[in-house]
Amino acid sequence: MSLLAVRGLTVALPAGGDRADAVHAIDFAVEPGESLCVVGESGSGKSVCAAAIMGLLPPALRVRGGSIDFEGVDLLKLSATGLRALRGARIGMIFQEPMTALNPLMRVGEQIAEVLTVHGARGGAARVPELLAAVNLPDPARIARAYPHLLSGGQRQRVMIAMALALEPALLIADEPTTALDVTTQMQILRLIKDIQTRRGTGVLFITHDFGVVAEIADRVVVMQEGRVVEAGPASAILNAPQHPYTRALIAAVPHRSAPPPRADPAVVLELIGVRKTYWRGGGLLGRRSRVPAVQDADITLHKGETLGLVGESGSGKSTLARCIVRLVQPEEGAIRFHATDLTLLDRTGWKPFRKRIQMVFQDPFASLNPRRRVGEIIAEGPMAHGTSRGVALARARELLGLVQLDASVAERFPHEFSGGQRQRIGIARALAMDPELLIADEPVSALDVSVQAQILVLLEELRRELGLTMLFITHDLRVAAQICGRVAVMQHGVIVEQGETALVFASPRHAYTRSLLDSIPGRGWMPPVG
Amino acid sequence: MGSARFWRFLAQRLLKMAAMIVAIAVANFLLIHAAPGDPASVMAGEAGAADPQFMAQLRAQFGLDKPLSTQLLIYLGNLLHGDLGMSFRQGRPVAGLIAERLPATLLLTGTAFAFALAMGMLLGALAAQRVGRWADSAITVLALGFFATPIFWVGLMLVLVFSVWLDWLPSFGMNTVGADYTGWAAVADTAQYLVLPALTLGLFYMAVYARLTRASMLEVASQDFVRTARAKGVPEGRILRRHILRNALLPVITYAGIQAGQLIGGSILVETVFAWPGIGRLAFDALLARDYQLLLGVFLCTSVLTVVVNLVTDVVYAWVDPRVEVG
Amino acid sequence: MSDFVRIFVRNRGAVVGVVVLALVAVIAATAGVLFPFSPWDMRGAPFSPPGDPDFLLGSDSLGRDVAAGIAYGARVSLLIGAVSTCVAVLIGVTLGAVAGYASGLIDDAIMRFTEFFQTIPSFVLAVVLVAIFSPSLGSIVVAIAIVSWPPVARVIRAEVLSLRSREFVQAAEVLGRSRLSIICREILPNALSPLIVLASLMVASAILLESGLSFLGLGDPNLMSWGFMIGAGRSVIRLAWWMSVFPGVAIFLTVLALNLVGEGLTDALNPRLARRR
Repeated sequence: MSLLAVRGLTVALPAGGDRADAVHAIDFAVEPGESLCVVGESGSGKSVCAAAIMGLLPPALRVRGGSIDFEGVDLLKLSATGLRALRGARIGMIFQEPMTALNPLMRVGEQIAEVLTVHGARGGAARVPELLAAVNLPDPARIARAYPHLLSGGQRQRVMIAMALALEPALLIADEPTTALDVTTQMQILRLIKDIQTRRGTGVLFITHDFGVVAEIADRVVVMQEGRVVEAGPASAILNAPQHPYTRALIAAVPHRSAPPPRADPAVVLELIGVRKTYWRGGGLLGRRSRVPAVQDADITLHKGETLGLVGESGSGKSTLARCIVRLVQPEEGAIRFHATDLTLLDRTGWKPFRKRIQMVFQDPFASLNPRRRVGEIIAEGPMAHGTSRGVALARARELLGLVQLDASVAERFPHEFSGGQRQRIGIARALAMDPELLIADEPVSALDVSVQAQILVLLEELRRELGLTMLFITHDLRVAAQICGRVAVMQHGVIVEQGETALVFASPRHAYTRSLLDSIPGRGWMPPVG
Repeated sequence: MGSARFWRFLAQRLLKMAAMIVAIAVANFLLIHAAPGDPASVMAGEAGAADPQFMAQLRAQFGLDKPLSTQLLIYLGNLLHGDLGMSFRQGRPVAGLIAERLPATLLLTGTAFAFALAMGMLLGALAAQRVGRWADSAITVLALGFFATPIFWVGLMLVLVFSVWLDWLPSFGMNTVGADYTGWAAVADTAQYLVLPALTLGLFYMAVYARLTRASMLEVASQDFVRTARAKGVPEGRILRRHILRNALLPVITYAGIQAGQLIGGSILVETVFAWPGIGRLAFDALLARDYQLLLGVFLCTSVLTVVVNLVTDVVYAWVDPRVEVG
Repeated sequence: MSDFVRIFVRNRGAVVGVVVLALVAVIAATAGVLFPFSPWDMRGAPFSPPGDPDFLLGSDSLGRDVAAGIAYGARVSLLIGAVSTCVAVLIGVTLGAVAGYASGLIDDAIMRFTEFFQTIPSFVLAVVLVAIFSPSLGSIVVAIAIVSWPPVARVIRAEVLSLRSREFVQAAEVLGRSRLSIICREILPNALSPLIVLASLMVASAILLESGLSFLGLGDPNLMSWGFMIGAGRSVIRLAWWMSVFPGVAIFLTVLALNLVGEGLTDALNPRLARRR
C-alpha cells in the first residue's frame, strides 16, 4: 500500500479565475522511503495539491472531487479533529518562505516543543536540543533560546525541518523549501532532507520548479501544467527521455553549461579599481553603529563586446557594485573608469551625457515599471529627458517594442496588462532606447519562470550581437552564467575571489568559495538532453 | 531582551524624554512671545493688564527688558524650580493649582483609558473571530458610530439620558457636596460621579481600539507563521491565544501610546461638560478668564504627561517584542 | 477609472456616505435660500420645542432658529474642514517628501520635528493657539492645520522611502531624469492613494476639532457653528434638549459620512495598484 495515494483530486477555483479548476483529476502516489518531486511553473497548481493534502486550503478553494488516501485513510473524509491529530505527527510540512514562517514573539525552542506538547508526546523542552542537533544546527542550546529574527534564512528553514520531523512523521511535504535560499544553503538543506529520509525511511513529497533540484533528489517525478498532470514516472526516465512536449520544453529551457568563447577585442570599456562601499546600520543616541562592508576593493575589467558575468549569492555585494557603476550609490573609494573618464569624480550634471551610454535592466519585472504610465511613454521617457521631442521618442519606442519581439500596438497599454516575461522585454526596450554602449543586467531573469527565462536570455544574446553591446550580467545562478557569459567574476562578502574565462573557472576553480558554489549546483551531474 | 540591553534602551528613551520636555518648555516660551502684543499683557490676561503693579512684577519676573535668550534661560530656570507663574484671577501660583487638580484628571483619564483598552480589545477580538457575521457587523457599526461623535456631545447626551430623564446618575462634580464621606463611602460616592465622565471619554477611544484590534487580528491571522502552527496540528484555541493575540497586540500598544495625548486633551471637553474638578476644567476656566499663564501651565503639564505615557508604552512594547533594536 | 468606481459602489456604506455628504453640501450651499435671514436673528419665542411650524427644530434661548443655525453651520464646518485639511496636506506633503527623498541629516531633523508635534496633545495645542491669537476663522484654520499635519508627513515619508528604492524609480535615475521630474512624475502619483484616504479622514477630524473649539467658546464669534450651538445649549439642557441634540446629530452624520467614504476609498484604491500577473 502506498504511503500517500492521491486519486482524481479536483479543486475548484472561485468564479472569474483564468480556469475552472485549480487542479483537475490529479493522480499520484508516494511510497514509503521514496522522494516524489512535483514539478511545474507558477500557476500549475502544485502548491494547491500540497495544501489540499494537509487540509490547509484557503476558504475560497473547494475540493470538488477525488480522494487522498494516507496510510489507508481518506483525508478528505476525515473530521477536523482527526486531521489535526495527523498534522505534525504523521505528516509534516515545510514551506517556502522561512523568514516569515516562525512566530516572531516566541523562542525557537518553545515553538519546537509546542509540536510535542499538542500531540501529547513526552519530552517537551528537554528534547529540543537533540532535535536541533539532528538538523545539523551548531550550538543547539543557544539556538533553542533564540528568537527567530536572530537566525538566518537557512537556519530558520532547518528549524522548520526540525519542527516538522520532531514526531518522526511517515510523510514530509516540502513546498518549495529552498527557493528562497542561497545556492549553497539550498544544497545543504537538500542533502539534509535526503539524509533524514535515508535514516528514517520518511516519504518525501517535494514541490519545486527547478529541474536541477529534481535531478538532485527525486526518485520519481510528476510534471504539472495548468492544474493537470502531463507526465509522471521514474526520475531517470523523465530527466533523460521526456515524452510530453511540455516536459521537453521545460527541460530544454534549463540553461546548459555550454560556455561561449570570450571576445577577442582588447579595447577596455569599463574598469573598476579598488572600489569600496560600506553601509552603516543602526545608530542614534547612545547606540552603536554597525559597519556593513558591501563591496571591498573590487577590481574588474570589461572588454568591448563581451559579456562578463558577476556571480555571487545574496549579500555578496554584486548588486551594490552594479549600483555603484550607474551612480545609484556612491562608493567611498576607488575609481570607475568608463573609457578614459573616472565616473566617481563626476557630479550629477557631469553624469548626464554618460546616462546615454550606460544603461541598466532590473530584476523585478513587477516593480521596474511605473504602474501608472503607459508602456510607450515609459520607453520614450529616457530620450525625452535628454532633449528628444515627444513624437520622435514615441516613434522610436514603437520600433524598440518590435525589436524585443512585442507588437508595436501595445504601447498604449499599462504594465499590469502584461506577463512577467513581457514586462522584462519592456524593461530591456527602455534601456535600449538610449542607444547605450554598456548594458548592466541585474539578475534580469531571476524572477521569471524557467521557460520564459530561456526566451529572455536568447533575446539578450541576440540584441548584444546585433547592437554590439558590452554587457555586465549579474546573477546568482551559475547555469545561467555558464550559458551566456564569456568571462566570469565570482564575488563573496564584497570581495571578488576569482575572475577569468567561464569555461576555465568552472572546469578548474582555484578559490575554495568558487569550488563550493559549483558544488552546490543542484543536479550538476545531470546533462539535460539537447533537442 | 537581555537586561544590559534593556537598561541601555531605557537610558536612551529617558534621555529622549528629557530632550522632548525641554523642547516643549521652549515651545511654551515661544508661544508666549509669539502672541500679538506685549508678552507681559498676554500673560497678565485682560484682568491683570489693568493692574500696573502686577504688570511690573511680571516684567521683573520674566526679565522682559532683557534679550530673548536670557529670558528663555530665566524661564527654564523657573521651571526647574517648579515655578509656573501666577494666576492672576485665582491669586495663586499656577503650579499649586495644577498639583491640586491633577489627581482628579488622572483618575478620570486613567479609568477611561483602562475601560477603552479593555472593552476595545475585547470587542475587536470578538469581531475578528466572527468576521463577516452579524456580531462583526454590529461591532463595526457601533465602533464607526462612536468614532464619529464629538466627545462633548456624547457627554451631554449621557447626561440627558441618565441624569435628566432617568435620574440614575449625577451630572456634575466629583462627589456629593455637603455630605462628608470618608473611607469606602467616599470611594463609592466618587465612583458614581465617575461613571458618566469616564464612559464619555472612554467610548470614543473604545471604538478606536476595537477597530484597530479587529484589523490587527485579521492581518495576523493571515500570516505565514499561523499557517505553520496549523501545519503542526496546533488546535485553533491555542493558535488564537499563543500565536495570534500576542502578535496582534503590538500595533495596539503602539497606537495606545500615540492616542494618549488625544485622551488627555479630550479631558478638557469632558471635564467642562461634567464640571469635573481636574486640570481640564482648570484650562476651561483659564480660557474664560483669559488667564494665559494658567492655560500655558496646563498645556505644559499635559504635554509632559503625554511624554511620560509615551515612554511607558515604548518600554512595554520593547519588553513584549524582542525584535526592537536598542541601537 | 471605471474599476475604481465599480469597487467603490460595491461598498454600500461608502455610497451612503457620499449621499449624506452631498446632502450636507447642498444644505450648506442653499442655506441662504432655505432660511433667507441671518441665523443670529431672533425670530420668535425662546425655547420653542421642535415640531413648531415656525421652528422646525425648535428655537434657542434667544429665540434663534435652530434649523437655520444648523444649515449655516454646515457651511462653517465644511469650509473649515476642507481648508484646514488642504493646508495640513500642503505642509505634510512638502516635509514628508523632502524627508523621504533627502534622507540623512535632513530626514532626521524633519522626523524629530514631526515627532515633537505628534507628542504634544493636539487638542490642547489647538486651544492654546486659538486662545492666544484670538478666535477667528483664520486662526482656527491655521491652528487645526498645525496640529493635523504630522500624520500626513509620516505617511508621505514612508511612501517616498518605499518608492525611492522601487526599481522603476531607480530606472528613472539611471535614465538621467531630473530629480524634480522623478519626484513629481514617478513618486508622488504613486503615493496618492494613501494620501487621499488620509485626507478624507482628516476632514472628519478637523470638523470634530472645530466643533470642540467652538464648544469651548473659541469659535469665530461672527460664525454660527454647530459646536457653538451645543455649547450654548449646555447650561439649559434640562429646559431645551433640542438645542444640544440636533447640532450634534448634524456633526455625527457628517463625520460618519466622511469616515464611510474614507473606508470605501481604501478598498477602491488598493486592488487597482496591487494587481499582479
